Amino acid sequence: MSELPKAIANIDVNAELSLAKRRHGYSWWFNLLCLSIASLSVVVLVLLLVSIGYQGLGSIDATFLTASHDPEDPSKAGMSPAIIGSVLVCVLCALTALPVGIGSAIFLEEFKPTNRYLKLMHGFVQLNISNLAGVPSIVYGLLGLTLFVYMFQVFGKLEQNAVSGVDFWGVRRYYQLLSLDQSSTVLVPMVDSKQTTYKVTQSIAGFNGKEQPIQIQVWRRGEAKPTDPEVLSRTVRENASGGLLEIYSWYYFRLPFGSSFLAAGLTLALVILPIIVISSQEALRAVPPSLREAALGLGSTQWQTVRGVTLPAALPGVMTGAILAMGRAIGEAAPIFVVLGGNIGKRTGPEHLMDSCVTMPILIFGWAENPVESYRELAAGAIIVLLVILLLMNSVAVYLRQRMNQLSG
Amino acid sequence: MNERITLPTALTDKRFKSTSTSRLSERLMVALLGGFAFLTIAISAAIVFMLVSESWNFFSSDYVKFSDFFFGTRWTPLQVTDIERVEFGIWPLLSGTIRVTAIAMLIALPLGLMTAIYLSEYASRPVRAVLKPVLEILAGVPTVVFGYFAILLISPSLQLISPSFDTFNATSAGIAVGILCLPMVCSLSEDALSAVPRSLREGVYGLGGTRLDTSLKVVVPAAMSGIVSAFLLAFSRAIGETMVVALAAGTLANFSFDPRQQSQTMTGFIVEMLKSELEYGTVQYYSLFGVAITLFAITFVMTLMGQYVRRRYQESYQ
Repeated sequence: MSELPKAIANIDVNAELSLAKRRHGYSWWFNLLCLSIASLSVVVLVLLLVSIGYQGLGSIDATFLTASHDPEDPSKAGMSPAIIGSVLVCVLCALTALPVGIGSAIFLEEFKPTNRYLKLMHGFVQLNISNLAGVPSIVYGLLGLTLFVYMFQVFGKLEQNAVSGVDFWGVRRYYQLLSLDQSSTVLVPMVDSKQTTYKVTQSIAGFNGKEQPIQIQVWRRGEAKPTDPEVLSRTVRENASGGLLEIYSWYYFRLPFGSSFLAAGLTLALVILPIIVISSQEALRAVPPSLREAALGLGSTQWQTVRGVTLPAALPGVMTGAILAMGRAIGEAAPIFVVLGGNIGKRTGPEHLMDSCVTMPILIFGWAENPVESYRELAAGAIIVLLVILLLMNSVAVYLRQRMNQLSG
Repeated sequence: MNERITLPTALTDKRFKSTSTSRLSERLMVALLGGFAFLTIAISAAIVFMLVSESWNFFSSDYVKFSDFFFGTRWTPLQVTDIERVEFGIWPLLSGTIRVTAIAMLIALPLGLMTAIYLSEYASRPVRAVLKPVLEILAGVPTVVFGYFAILLISPSLQLISPSFDTFNATSAGIAVGILCLPMVCSLSEDALSAVPRSLREGVYGLGGTRLDTSLKVVVPAAMSGIVSAFLLAFSRAIGETMVVALAAGTLANFSFDPRQQSQTMTGFIVEMLKSELEYGTVQYYSLFGVAITLFAITFVMTLMGQYVRRRYQESYQ
């Protein structure tokens, strides 16, 4: 007859049972605690959406979507320049950040070096990208400010009502003068860029208001005024003085960029570049190595493998990451605020590369800090529009992912 | 038997057309992609160069003393117009940042970690299907929206609880920043928790452990490096957060640790300075780069530490 070991025989079953019950009780309570804390985030999201919806839904109407900011009357103010501005800035940002980001990701994932020193470099680039992802966006804004807006003042300072900076293409400068019929203007081409005003003393070749070439006549005091309205419209008073008029094409390019659309787009590209690199790398890493090995075994070069096999297989993931990064870009306010300033009064979207522009987050910021209550309600309305756009972008991402999965599967 | 074997022409004629061109295009592509990768290094270099050269303009000015900057408790470049009497001491801004960040971390770290534990250890499939998208949506909400939320709802609620809160105060900004960091803490910690192998959990269950024992005594310690690195990244994000504090934390730079008062943070000061009329080139304007380099140094150290912790203390189960 064997005896039970003392350790087992001496167990007080009831005590053990109550202990076990208590432990399960703790676990149950902990479960409840976790659940309530986890559901807190649902509560916060609901609170956020409901409070902003309550505050802002009333201000959304046709005027709100088509008008521009009105500093006097909140009921006439709208956000159309901001919507156009945000979309265009985002497009510019995608055009620059996507190729560079996806390219770097491919380089880091698919062209891993075997040489010891190159390996070290490779690791350094990788570390550097994770560090870039942790840099606050306002620091990128300051980089954009010094690198794009002022360019360390290498090309001089931009000034109002003067020719400044170094122009490359896309601008025509004239002196604008009022003609005798008081309703049309004539343009004299600018010769000396230091001279910002011009006095007419003699007949000169120039242009009319629509930039068609004309001969500008001069009328001197005491002479009879011409009667023909055509001649009248190209005749100016002697010694009439004209101010500077600059006409830009959309591709106008100048150094430094100034507080411009181009500078804003490039700064935003810097902000989202590390995000794109990291998400594309993850997508590339998820492609099974067997696919690559098959392509390499058939004799394709590494780049042929990437182009024909790896990249198409990783495309859904890359696209999803890119769209999420774009969502981040469209909602990013701090870097754009640093580069463009907080001015929200612009009445149109950006018209050329060097034009200033308003984006939705800047408009929301400008309205939200306005002490007038009705502007704060407009800010809530603008937030709703911004969130709807973000939601649309995210659903496109989800749709793309599913579509691609179906195609490849 | 001694018949000569003739090779197929494809093998004798070895002038494969594609080889030379594809080798060239291969080289070109590698160079291009490598150029893109080095561009990211150039960006880092540009950030450091920009911060150092522009803040040098500030630190080398006659009106600024290094010791005053790091130990001074008054910061008045926006309030005092006479440059002789402006005081540059970083501590008011630093104390503002510390107040806001501390409150944000008090919210984001415990809540984020608990949510992550729930998602990885307890949640059933349907609960997960609700919680995950909610957290993703929260993570995608622009920061300026949280700033608006802070002045719309959080600040008035705080004032309702206790009238001693200012309209703009560190607590409401801190709560909003905390909400903003929560999804990040949660998803990073959850990644770390779910990377812990199943066998460890099964071991605990086999020994008679409850879910509480499993999650708190085994899974969380095993994932500690990932969790700490998530905390550090969230901390660095909270310090650099701009739009929320610009809207909700107020514009008064005072050296205090009272969370009910206004508190201008480092990022908040940069925004205020850019809004002001001061010209590029004045000492006051350059002071923003002095603040920015301090901010960059803090976040950079945090990020590096986060990566170090994750790599150095990562437990591997092979």
